[in-house]
Amino acid sequence: MVELFRNIVNIISVAAIPLLIIVFLGWGFFKKVKVYEVFVEGAKDGFTVAVKIIPYLVAMLVAIGIFRASGAMDVVTTLLAPITNLIGMPAESLPMALMRPLSGSGSLGLMTEIMKVHGPDSFIGVLVSTMYGSSETTFYVLAVYFGAVGIKNFRHALPAGIIADIFGMLGAVFICRILFGV
Amino acid sequence: MLNYVWIGLIAIGILVAVGNDINDEVQNTYRNGVPLEATLTLQPVPSAMYSTWKGELTIPAVAFNQFYGIYSQKTDVHQQVVVMTSNKGVTTLSMLVGDSTPEFWKKMADNAGQKDQLSAEVRSLNFSNDHATAQASFILERVNYVKVRAVTKAALDYANTAVTISLGLIGIMALWLGVMKVAEEAGLLRILTKLLTPLTRRLFPEVPPDHPAVGAMIMNVAANMLGLNNAATPLGLKAMEELNKLNPKVGTATNAMCTFLVINTAGLTFIPATAIAVRAAAGSGDPGIIIGTSIFGATCATIAGLIAVKVLQRLPWYKVEVEKSASGDTEVHNG
Repeated sequence: MVELFRNIVNIISVAAIPLLIIVFLGWGFFKKVKVYEVFVEGAKDGFTVAVKIIPYLVAMLVAIGIFRASGAMDVVTTLLAPITNLIGMPAESLPMALMRPLSGSGSLGLMTEIMKVHGPDSFIGVLVSTMYGSSETTFYVLAVYFGAVGIKNFRHALPAGIIADIFGMLGAVFICRILFGV
Repeated sequence: MLNYVWIGLIAIGILVAVGNDINDEVQNTYRNGVPLEATLTLQPVPSAMYSTWKGELTIPAVAFNQFYGIYSQKTDVHQQVVVMTSNKGVTTLSMLVGDSTPEFWKKMADNAGQKDQLSAEVRSLNFSNDHATAQASFILERVNYVKVRAVTKAALDYANTAVTISLGLIGIMALWLGVMKVAEEAGLLRILTKLLTPLTRRLFPEVPPDHPAVGAMIMNVAANMLGLNNAATPLGLKAMEELNKLNPKVGTATNAMCTFLVINTAGLTFIPATAIAVRAAAGSGDPGIIIGTSIFGATCATIAGLIAVKVLQRLPWYKVEVEKSASGDTEVHNG
């Protein structure tokens, strides 16, 4: 069942992009849109959008880079460990939960590292990979998406994003404890 | 809030870095100026003819851990070194950092003068009778301000990374913006939008159901669920651009933008491809076992995020900011 589901999603993932391109462009051609001219017209914004993101992403990544490099993560982990112990979250997985919203490459590194130490099929290994799959890099997404349209005041997007992350991590702990629990 | 979080990350980072370095200095974590004993095996046998020889340093794991007050070294240290004697009679060791180098020394080498080398000044060298081995006592080069250096490096590196990531988007951005423009002109997005109107009207009450933003948002969420990251970001940025056309106050997020981004940050996807790939590479018996658990976790995140975003947008703190400047505007912001 899981295997079938995975195969179907795999096929869709592989075929989706060429399929989308041909359906969209083909439909446009069929509707007598001047496909080439309109495509170029739309595509010329690609450069401006990408360049517009730069200052926002620099600001965000530099702050996160400094935070990570300083070893502040260890301090926060030590402070939070008593709380997360109460809900049965293994201490080894706490850095992962903290890193996930901050840095994609950082959490990828942590996941690889933890699996090397504890094994991918251990409870901790399954838990951290579930955590990795349970959320996106919130700070990166916000910087890129808001940066592209020059939004500096994020309003409630950041707290809501962090609440989503917290519940994603708690959900991961909950389901892993039920299914593979110790 | 973002201002506080941003300056908080930077200030905490720098303060902790300075604190860590002061602590290292006080505890002398890197044993600056303290001689370390090791057995040196030389190849070939040195004679007065040579001023440079190659050799191998051997330190038992227990002695190494004890010296640095750590527990991480599991195996005995076998380190390739070059021994040099200068004209003035000063003998130095150059450790060539490689796979067999202890992690602790690798860290020290990163912060020493040269990245792939760690040098030491030999204080005494007592050769055995056959001159093949020697008991060496040496002092490694000074290592200090490790964290502050790391912070400096991170700041510069990440600034570069940000530019690399942004510029890397140009190509796929152009491709998807072009395709989307054709779809828009052909009216295809409107058809797609109509199908999901009941859902999108509830999630984004401020956005007219047939607005191009809705089509782009649907495409972005669909691409995310299929794990098509290359397509998802450009489509999402397109959606943001469309949403910004409805924005009464330039530079401030609208409710619809926040809702849309929370869906994105929760990152619901049917196949968490990266995590599965890493599990497979780590030799997992069943890499895909996390598909179900990840979908569950991301669903929790999405639901919690949507509830949070809808509750928070009603708080005076977040609501006032928009209404103040949008005076006389027809846009309604408390859906």
